[in-house]
Amino acid sequence: MIKEIIKYPTPLSVEYATDVRVFNDELFALIEDLKDTINENNLDGLAAFQIGNYYNVIVLKDEKGAFIEMINPRLISYKGRVSTQEATAYYPNQKAEITRYENISVVYQDRDGKDCSLQASGALAVTIQRKIDYTFGATFIHKMSKEEKERFEQRLEYGSDVGNSDYCPTTFKRDKIVLVMNVAMGLMVLGVVAALFIEDSALLHTLWKLLLYGAAGVIGLDIIYFFYAQYEGKKASGCSSCQIGNIIGTVAIVLLKLTVIMLLAYFFVYQ
Amino acid sequence: MARLVVLGGGVSGHTTATFAAKWLGSQHEVVVVTPNSKWNWIPSNIWVGVGEMTKEEVTFDLAPVYAKAGITYHQAKALSINPEGKEDSDKPFVTIEYTSEDKAGQTETIEYDYLVNATGPKLNFDATPGLGDGNGQMGENTVSVCTADHAVHAAEEFQKAIEKMKAGERQKFLIGTGHGMCTCQGAAFEYIFNIEHELNKAGVRDMAEVKWISNESFLGDFGMGGLHMKVGGYVVSSKLFAESLFAERGVEWLIGAHTSKVEAGKVEYELLDGTKGEEAFDFAMLIPPFAGVGLKAYNKAGEDITGTVFAPNGFMKVDANYNAGAYENWKASDWPRTYQNPTYKNMFAAGIAFAPPHIISKPMSSPNGTPINPTPPRTGMPSGIIGKAVAHSVCDLMTKGEDAKLHEASMAEMGAACVASAGKGVFSGQAAAMTVYPVVPDFEKYPGTGRDTDYTFGEIGLAGHWIKHILHHLFIYKAKLNPGWTLIPE
Repeated sequence: MIKEIIKYPTPLSVEYATDVRVFNDELFALIEDLKDTINENNLDGLAAFQIGNYYNVIVLKDEKGAFIEMINPRLISYKGRVSTQEATAYYPNQKAEITRYENISVVYQDRDGKDCSLQASGALAVTIQRKIDYTFGATFIHKMSKEEKERFEQRLEYGSDVGNSDYCPTTFKRDKIVLVMNVAMGLMVLGVVAALFIEDSALLHTLWKLLLYGAAGVIGLDIIYFFYAQYEGKKASGCSSCQIGNIIGTVAIVLLKLTVIMLLAYFFVYQ
Repeated sequence: MARLVVLGGGVSGHTTATFAAKWLGSQHEVVVVTPNSKWNWIPSNIWVGVGEMTKEEVTFDLAPVYAKAGITYHQAKALSINPEGKEDSDKPFVTIEYTSEDKAGQTETIEYDYLVNATGPKLNFDATPGLGDGNGQMGENTVSVCTADHAVHAAEEFQKAIEKMKAGERQKFLIGTGHGMCTCQGAAFEYIFNIEHELNKAGVRDMAEVKWISNESFLGDFGMGGLHMKVGGYVVSSKLFAESLFAERGVEWLIGAHTSKVEAGKVEYELLDGTKGEEAFDFAMLIPPFAGVGLKAYNKAGEDITGTVFAPNGFMKVDANYNAGAYENWKASDWPRTYQNPTYKNMFAAGIAFAPPHIISKPMSSPNGTPINPTPPRTGMPSGIIGKAVAHSVCDLMTKGEDAKLHEASMAEMGAACVASAGKGVFSGQAAAMTVYPVVPDFEKYPGTGRDTDYTFGEIGLAGHWIKHILHHLFIYKAKLNPGWTLIPE
């Protein structure tokens, strides 16, 4: 059956590189689907990953146009390096210069589960390497030099991160709330330190009041942070539930810092 | 008063003995038999192996710690177990041979009510010709970081290599596994990055060729069949992660390799595709394969029952499914839960000493029939967790009776964390911190990769160094039984 090839900007799945353990009809059907899809799209090969299947299977066409079925392939040894212009079905109508090994040795299993090996060079070697990369969740963008990657990314409409969108971001808007709270508490610390050099009781009284307002503000922001952080976390599907631990931890740290500051203020500022 | 005898004082044995002593109090006796006089925080041996730490910083004397804990300590190695006792007594016992200077070579028997075998591995150097000296010890061709003394030796050889490079002589460094059935790729992985880091620091990186050799079928397998990692928010395979680390540092690699022979300055290897080759080196750190320590077992009549108690590789049989068969039949439930010996219910095995039901990575062999695949890693974290669970079980059996429910700690239900540093500095270098859950993939619970991607992630950065420093001090503090030690997790 001809399958739809996953193409940019649809993100690749995060599930990949699953070795085939059972050689059954499900596997044979997958191999046939890969062949049909290769023929329909006139391709030189496909990894199962490219049609949305996480099994470690690739099907290629050799120089004579015959199919090679590779199950659980592993690139074992290599010699020499060669740079060629490569194209891949994931990034339609795009080419990029990629450096690969010139000669490779691959071990794999055939559809009967028998161990096989293949020595390849030239175009076939390059295709095998690109397809094995797919089985481990990578596109050829991972094999580009830094400069080539920058050039390539400029040609992509949505940038390269889209291929990995199913993840939990590491920076959040909520971090700005933490920044504001930290700056406020930093100023409060300065206030407490300044109090050590102030003898005017009226001024100290004013300072204590300011510190109380500051503490109330930080507590308010901390409450806002607690709820907003959870809302923001739920928006990103790739974020795990362990985020709540981080959120509670952040809230608790802020409260702890504030308690220490206010205790010091009570002894040194409060009259 | 009943007696618990713990064989081995490594991460697992020490955890079992110290927790058991704490929970049992003076009601029962806890005895530790270990050939070593010192406890070693093995992960930091990597830093000893490049001269960044001393042996003293990663070890401490066991005797005062056991004295404080009320544990009877014999510096001796266990030779055999008689789980049925002898002709005139039903009391099971172990035979030990002292290794301490004052009693070296003397043998003695110790009776037990419960036995925990936490003897760890025998470093089986002789499995590869030339890797060992023929007498079970490390040979003269390579170095190792498996023990603190080995690591000190490695650091000396490394320093010599640096001096040679400073004098204008190029050096080739070969780091990895010394056999097709090795585990502990992670330690070698960390060591190669520390070597590379130190070469840069010494200003001789351009004079060195650094190469990796391992029995993994892909880079980043780590004996766990690889893992998916969230790195800086992106999900990548440990293969890509490892390959990019190697490529960035100009380190070449040779994988799917069984090191078949080691000579001075040269290794011979066989690859998974059946080809054979040679690799020259000036400095090689090759991890040896592990085997059981060679304990024997005898029945009441004095007949050898080693094959009943131990698996052929010398590790003790526990409540695992050793008849799982082919790769397609492997299940998470094959892995042991209580670590109790199926024949003798008062014996347990913890840490590396228990026999795993099968490997974790995909089993592979060359066309010549040589098995080339990593064996299962059992790092400090699972070893400690298993040791504590076994201590719990044994204490309950001793205090509540033989029907007490055993505590469980399956490697298919526990995670592991690992920090692989490249350097030791507080402000320089990088470290890869990885967590994996579960250690043994559960294909039924997590279809596909067998792991929970939410809890399997990696991060690379300077902070990994700090974590490794913190772990170093934290675990040595805990092992010394300093105040609050029970609060520190395994």
